[in-house]
Amino acid sequence: MTTYAERPTINVAPMPPSAKGKNFVKWITSTDHKTIGYLYLMTTFAWFLIGGLLALILRAELARPGMQFLSNEQYNQIFTMHGTIMLLMFATPLFVGFANVIMPLQIGAADVAFPRLNMLSFWLFFFGSITAVAGFLTPGGAASFGWTAYAPLANSTYSPGIGGDLWVIGLAVSGLGTILGGVNFITTIFTMRAPGMTMFRMSIFSWNVLLTSILVLLAFPPLAAALLGLESDRLFGSHLFDPANGGAMLWQHLFWFFGHPEVYILALPFFGIATEILPVFSRKPIFGYKGLIAATIAISALSVAVWAHHMFASGQVLLPFFSFMTFLIGIPTGVKFFNWIGTMWRGNVTFETPMLWVMGFLVTFLFGGLTGIILASPPLDFAVSASYFVVAHFHYVLFGTVVFAMFAGFYFWWPKMTGRMLNERLGKIHFWTLFFGFHLTFLIQHWLGIKGFPRRYADYLSTDGFTTMNTISTIGSALLALSMIPFFVNVWITRKSPLVNCDDPWGYGSSLEWATSCPPPRHNFLTMPRIRSERPAFDLHHPHIKTEGH
Amino acid sequence: MKANWRLFTGLSIFYVIMAIVYYFVGGEPVGITGMILAACLAGMVGFYLWFTAKRIGHDLPEDRPTAEIADSAGELGFYSPHSWWPLPVALSAMALGLSLLIGWWLTLISLGALVISIIGFVTEYEKPLPENASH
Repeated sequence: MTTYAERPTINVAPMPPSAKGKNFVKWITSTDHKTIGYLYLMTTFAWFLIGGLLALILRAELARPGMQFLSNEQYNQIFTMHGTIMLLMFATPLFVGFANVIMPLQIGAADVAFPRLNMLSFWLFFFGSITAVAGFLTPGGAASFGWTAYAPLANSTYSPGIGGDLWVIGLAVSGLGTILGGVNFITTIFTMRAPGMTMFRMSIFSWNVLLTSILVLLAFPPLAAALLGLESDRLFGSHLFDPANGGAMLWQHLFWFFGHPEVYILALPFFGIATEILPVFSRKPIFGYKGLIAATIAISALSVAVWAHHMFASGQVLLPFFSFMTFLIGIPTGVKFFNWIGTMWRGNVTFETPMLWVMGFLVTFLFGGLTGIILASPPLDFAVSASYFVVAHFHYVLFGTVVFAMFAGFYFWWPKMTGRMLNERLGKIHFWTLFFGFHLTFLIQHWLGIKGFPRRYADYLSTDGFTTMNTISTIGSALLALSMIPFFVNVWITRKSPLVNCDDPWGYGSSLEWATSCPPPRHNFLTMPRIRSERPAFDLHHPHIKTEGH
Repeated sequence: MKANWRLFTGLSIFYVIMAIVYYFVGGEPVGITGMILAACLAGMVGFYLWFTAKRIGHDLPEDRPTAEIADSAGELGFYSPHSWWPLPVALSAMALGLSLLIGWWLTLISLGALVISIIGFVTEYEKPLPENASH
């Protein structure tokens, strides 16, 4: 006789998957433009901190003459990776992050045109950037030929080792992600605007995202081509960038044909952020809306014809042509300044934290622009080329635009992204420490450059007379690093602060993202206001003030 | 759509002009090639947009200054709720790149993985037609 044991019945429901695991899967499989945008913002901010840490190591080494704790090779690796990280892993994808979070909201779209492609771009950037930096873990160390990878220094004879190869391959993959992102944004802006949101009612930020994406399409393919060529030289022994047949100049031309539009890829979206913030805290519409758009179009058009001003010292480029074009591109930039000041002029200006950061941006970027005019003139450029004057110039331009406008955007859109305000007092402490830290670090480098300290040198003699200025710069960099602490404290202490529970916590928001809840629902809008001007949210919240429609 | 194709066509024309100017002031071949290719790219997009605008034949709601939100009422389109596919596509693309350094065996594997994941990505929402459906 066989007896059977009854199968026990379990009445308890199976364990639900943990909330953490569910959230993790939700984030890595997301196709929501906002979530992907947050992934971009968090990843790029992590790269910003890593790149900043590398910069602190460089500054610490330079504080006194003599080599303290780095070898020359390590110094080269660190400045190479500092440049690469800051430009291609922080600033460029930061544009993609802000564009992802904000642009579909501003044009009244439910998502981007290709949500899965959007996530693919992120993963390509994520894996590509880790690969490019992974050289630090190899025995030979990371790439050490400068972020410009000039030929023949970057070939396998002068820069052997797998670090350089990882750098090239990582950047090629990450660049592919950027190109796909550009395609996605252009398509979104052209096909997914809300009814009534004509091209000339789009917010300036969205316009700048459009033109930046066009520049991405023009600039990144030459970079990809150049990188693949370089890798073919390194691995298969081809002679594309062999100096014997003009390869050194070919690399410089290809690299800067990418490199100069890249500067505008970094600048334009952040100009856009500043342009969004200024009218809100001046309680005035943008001064010269169409002029600003025309200026941005002019910058994008001209930016493909100025690349060789990075190569003045090579003695093999047309100095008058590139000098003239570079001066020319200063004009639309000046128009923008004129419009920004015009927006504030006789406005009811208040200095909440986002506005403060925009002021910091205006001041810092103006300095960088002015030294840019000096560098655009070949005789002056020859005198300071490859010195710390150039280092100071591009830090004023890029840090001024990217970092100041990034924090402006963070403080401005934090309630839109999280539903909670950041603390104003800590925000102001953050701003002023960073502002003083930045100017202490970089202002003095102009004089250091004029006195003749060359960039990318790991060391100098105590008799050179560079010591005091270098020490001051290093102290400034420490202050700059410390200024991140108030920001982290701010993010931490406001994580559970009360929700704003309104569409527009700043009260005078103009563009469409302020006409939906904070944070917005999955497909962005439950109701959409009628769009009759470039300030649909302002028209909605302040119907008694008639804005002149375009 | 007018502003769209005009923007790209305008950029294309400008790049052609710049290439010609650069040629006549004595520019080198790399820059001329670069600018002509830039002009071709912008021109191609501009032509596509112009062609599409012509084919649509009328102003879309987003291009009409007096459009109401209700004008585009109806189905907004299909939005993927979430997707696993971008991750394997990117991973296999990265592996394909790294295979240059690691070895040809990885090239073959990652190329296969890339093809499979791209097919998965593209056909994720393709449903087979019902058997009696006429094409």
